[in-house]
This record gives sequence, structure tokens and C-alpha cells, in this order.
Amino acid sequence: MIETELAIVGAGPAGLSAAIEAARAGVEVTVIDENAKPGGQLFKQIHKFFGSKEHRAGVRGFTIGHHLLEETRKLGVTILLDTKVWGIFKDLTLGISRGEEMDLVKAQKILLATGAIETPLSFPGWTLPGVMGAGAAQTLVNLHRVLPGRRFLMVGSGNVGLIVAYQLLQAGAEVSAVIDIAPIIGGYGVHASKIKRQGVRILPSYTILEAQGQEKVEQAIIAQMGQDGKAVPGTEETLEVDCICLAVGLNPLAELAWIAGCVFDYKGDRGGFIPKHTRRMETTVPGIFVAGDIAGIDEASCAMEEGKIAATAIAESLGRIKPIQGKRKIEKMGKNLNTLRSGPFGAARRKRARFLMQRGYAIAGSGLDYSGALSPGELKKIPGVPSERRMKKGPVAFLECNQNIPCDPCELACPRGAIRVGQPVTNLPVLKEEKCTGCGICIPSCPGLAIFVVDQSKKGREATLRLPYEFFPWPEAGSVVPALNREGKIVTTARVLKVSSAKAHDRTAVVTISVPKEFALEVRAIGPKPRVIP
Amino acid sequence: MTTPRIVDHPILGKAEEGRRVSIWVDGDEIEAIEGEPVATALLAAGIHVLHYTHKYNHPRGVYCAIGRCTDCIMTVNGKPNVRTCVTPVEKGMKIETQRGLGSWEHER
Repeated sequence: MIETELAIVGAGPAGLSAAIEAARAGVEVTVIDENAKPGGQLFKQIHKFFGSKEHRAGVRGFTIGHHLLEETRKLGVTILLDTKVWGIFKDLTLGISRGEEMDLVKAQKILLATGAIETPLSFPGWTLPGVMGAGAAQTLVNLHRVLPGRRFLMVGSGNVGLIVAYQLLQAGAEVSAVIDIAPIIGGYGVHASKIKRQGVRILPSYTILEAQGQEKVEQAIIAQMGQDGKAVPGTEETLEVDCICLAVGLNPLAELAWIAGCVFDYKGDRGGFIPKHTRRMETTVPGIFVAGDIAGIDEASCAMEEGKIAATAIAESLGRIKPIQGKRKIEKMGKNLNTLRSGPFGAARRKRARFLMQRGYAIAGSGLDYSGALSPGELKKIPGVPSERRMKKGPVAFLECNQNIPCDPCELACPRGAIRVGQPVTNLPVLKEEKCTGCGICIPSCPGLAIFVVDQSKKGREATLRLPYEFFPWPEAGSVVPALNREGKIVTTARVLKVSSAKAHDRTAVVTISVPKEFALEVRAIGPKPRVIP
Repeated sequence: MTTPRIVDHPILGKAEEGRRVSIWVDGDEIEAIEGEPVATALLAAGIHVLHYTHKYNHPRGVYCAIGRCTDCIMTVNGKPNVRTCVTPVEKGMKIETQRGLGSWEHER
């Protein structure tokens, strides 16, 4: 029998953050994970995270994973890998097995940070090889570096669907379309924009009717959804795809909490049944805490915050920190968590949740009425876009951020104080155009890749444009490439002037191109090849 | 068709040079990287059908890729119902497409 003060089940973002926080307070921690490697799903997250500085915004998920592991090592946290937890007993003992060996872990407190599993979606043909979870494709591509297909259909436009679609493009695959039964895109607009301007179609109010193929997926049939929730006859479309990814939500992995006798709540907008818990993340069974997706589906940044809250509460109850100190810390972290979840985007997310739940779907998405490509009208309303007078003067940044998502790395990136987000962190970035020199330092800082620098001041017919670029191969200076607008349509050609990538850019290249002046406000991407498939 | 392996990547860089080993799938030799999940090696070799279901004999492949759904089960070294998405490749492994519930090699 292993004895420990705190046993944490799950070595993902929530579990590791909790382990670090608790170990720092002097609690003896044992983390248990069934996988061969710790980190949970963090190591397949190769995009830069949103949030503010304390949430490590602008840092890629796998880098955060490395930081967390490094920290647990320094603190001497025990991590049992390849170890399954098969039981949980009333006296806070866990039954574990490793290979053929069984053991017990007797703990004073238990934190369940088991994460989530992807929600399946059944339709004719969904069991064919080639239909898989979006997270599964992400695992195969980003962790194991094998593409499970060449041409993909993404079902679901929440952040997972949008991000994985983008990562499939980065891995060299083609994405035929991203569809969603809801009339609005579920995830962050900036994630939608990234794939839209590469020519990927995003089709709201679309559903999948069937996956076809003999031994594996060869085609997908999609159709438009009517008001009645049924496919509109005559709108069927056959897509030549060999892989269909399902990104239709996540469900908490809460078996251990069920076994332990925790009381559950049904929260459709948080992924289904979740263990009831206090603001200190304690369940209805004293001594058992939850954090991360098991406590309701959300972003990894929220999972990390919840892990820290639970760990603080645990450290306090074990007498390692004073109650008043613990209370203050938890209040502060709770505020952080609220900020991450607040803003009009949060409200839109609830609206979308209602829409789907009225139709009988359990979901965990979010959304705004937004096509994925900013219209000229929308652009004028955004505080991050400079005035026409300023545009004529010289290079200037365009902060094409139109949703109140919790994110502020651009503010910190600007050495001249030309970008202001302020508090709350969900504010839209405001461009102080008189202070902006168009240096472009902010371009790679934006996790949404939504910052561009445009210079229309030079004489002649050409304008220069600097944009973020995360595909391979990098374009060569001097080459001529197709220039795409926000909708992903090729509108002109661009000459590549320079490709730069400093270490601090963390592999987001900044490409300088020149385009005819009349396209300066339109072109937002370049393509080595257009990624549109009929 | 080019290989499904992602050799170079804009964010992840070049793939680590793993040790190439041979494994045997239904009697055919394929190349795999030691330590990678068996299912990955099969996908890289263009093998997508991993087992056929017990009742209707329907093909199944990788679905969750994290060891939870059991759609990727195969018979590995004579042992049936092995989740190939979380089973690391070892040199000379013998993999069989599983029919239904499968059977233990020593019982056949």
C-alpha cells in the first residue's frame, strides 16, 4: 500500500497545476496517470493559448506542458505512469493497477482531474474506419506525426473543430469543409478566420447525412439544416474525403466520482453530468475534489486555474496554509477564472448552448454571429483598426480582433504602449494609432494570428503587408505567390519580400509581401497552393 | 501517394529519427518506428481496417486514439483485444486483424 497526503488522478493541465500548487505549500503529492507520458492532452495542443500573462497566454500548449512537468520534477512530485485507477473507496483509498500488478493508494485527500472524452455522433456510416474524433486526429498528427487521411471533413465548429482543422492544414492535409448544425460558428472567430482565409469552407446550419465507403471512408454527404432541424431536400452535397473528424463536444470522464458516491448535476452547456462541487472544488464527498474538464468542460487555461484552486483548498484543509491566506488566494483565483469565462463571448456561448439544447443536443461550445471573415462594415467598428488618415501616413498595425475573448499578449508585446486591452482582459484591443510605428512586434504575439501591418504610404502602386504565417514550406523571398482575401479567395498575386522568424516568435513566421495598393486592405493570407477542394 | 508520415512541421520541426523496425501484419512485413503506437504504424502503412465486429462483421479503425473506445483492438503477439492505439511497437511484433472477439493463439 502506498500512503500519500494528496492523490491526484490525471496528469493533465488541471492535475499537474494542482500538484505544483500543493507541493509548493508543502503537501506530499502523488499523481497517477494511465498513460505512458504525463501531460494529458496538452502535448497535442500546438497552438498558442489565449488568456493573460498569468495564464501563460501566447505560449503553445505543449510548451506549457513542458513547463508544468519541469516544475513537478523540481518539486519532487511523484508521478505514477501507465497506472490505472480502477476503484475508489470510502476511506479515500484508490485501487490501482500497473500491468498485472495491483496496489492501493491511501490518501488524505483525493483530486480527480480525469479530463474528458469526445462526444460521439452517430449517423449512417459513422463506424467506418476514417470516422474519428477530432482529438484523435490531433493526437495522431501532432503527437505521432501520421496523417490518418488526406482530405478531411470537420463536423463541429467549436474551438476544437476550428483548431484541429487548422492543425490538419499545418500538417499538410486538405480540409474540405467545417460544418456545424448551429447557425453560428461555435469557436473563437479568430480561429475561424485562420482557416477561412486559407480557403476552407465553414458551413453553419449544415449536418452530415452519411459517411460512405466500402472498407473505409471514401465520401461524406452533407446537407443544409432547415428550421425544423431536418436536412433540406435538394441541398445534399457529396464531399470526396477520406477522413471525417467529429468535434461535437466533450463529456466529463467522471466514473470515479460516480463510484465514490458524489452527487451530480446535469449541465448541458458544460458537457453533461458533472460532480456537484463548491467554489473550492470540493465534491459532496468530503475529501474528494475535482478540477478541469471533469468539473465541466472548458479551456485548458480554466482547468489549470481550477487545479490551483483545489490544491489551495486542500493545502488549507491539511493545515499547510492559514485559512485566511487560503481564502484570499482562492478568491483571487476565482476571479481569474471568472474573467476567463466572462465577456459578451461568454453570453453568446450561452445563447448557442440554448439553441442546441432546445433541439436536444448536449454541447460544450461557444459562439458569436460571425462568418469567420470580417466584413468592411465590421472592420470600421473595431477599435484595433487605424483610421484612413493614419493608414496613409506609414506602416500601421491592424488588430483584427472583434470578439471579447480573454486575451492580452498584444498589449504586452508593444514596447510603445500603442495597444491597450486593460481590465477586464476580455476587452477588445484598442490601437493608439499615433503611438504605433508599424514595427510589427505584435504580429507573432497574437494567439489568434489576427494582427497585420499594412503600409500604404509608399509612392507607386504597391503597398506592403506583413502577416503571420505558420505553414510549410515558408515562401522564398522574391517569389510570387497567390494572395488571398479574408474569405480565402485568390484576389491577386503577392511578391514575397522577406520572411523572418525570431526565436521569440516561437515559430510564427512574419512574411512581408507587396500587393497592389487597391488590395492592401483585402489581402490577409498567402498560399503556396490554394487549399480549396470542390 | 506520398507517405502519411509528417516528416517536417512548421511548429513541431523535424520528426525525431526513431529506430526503424519490422513488424508483421497478417503475415506481411511493414516498417514501423520502435515505441510508436501500433495503430500509428499501421496508418502510416496505409492499413485502416483494424478489426471486424463480432455480430455484423463490420470494419473498424482508429476512433479515439487515446485508448478508451476499443475500436482499434487487434490480436498482438497472439493476445486478442489489444488496444493498438496505446500499445507501443516492438521489433518483430506479430499483428493480426481481429475477427469478432478474437482468440488466444495457444487455444487455436
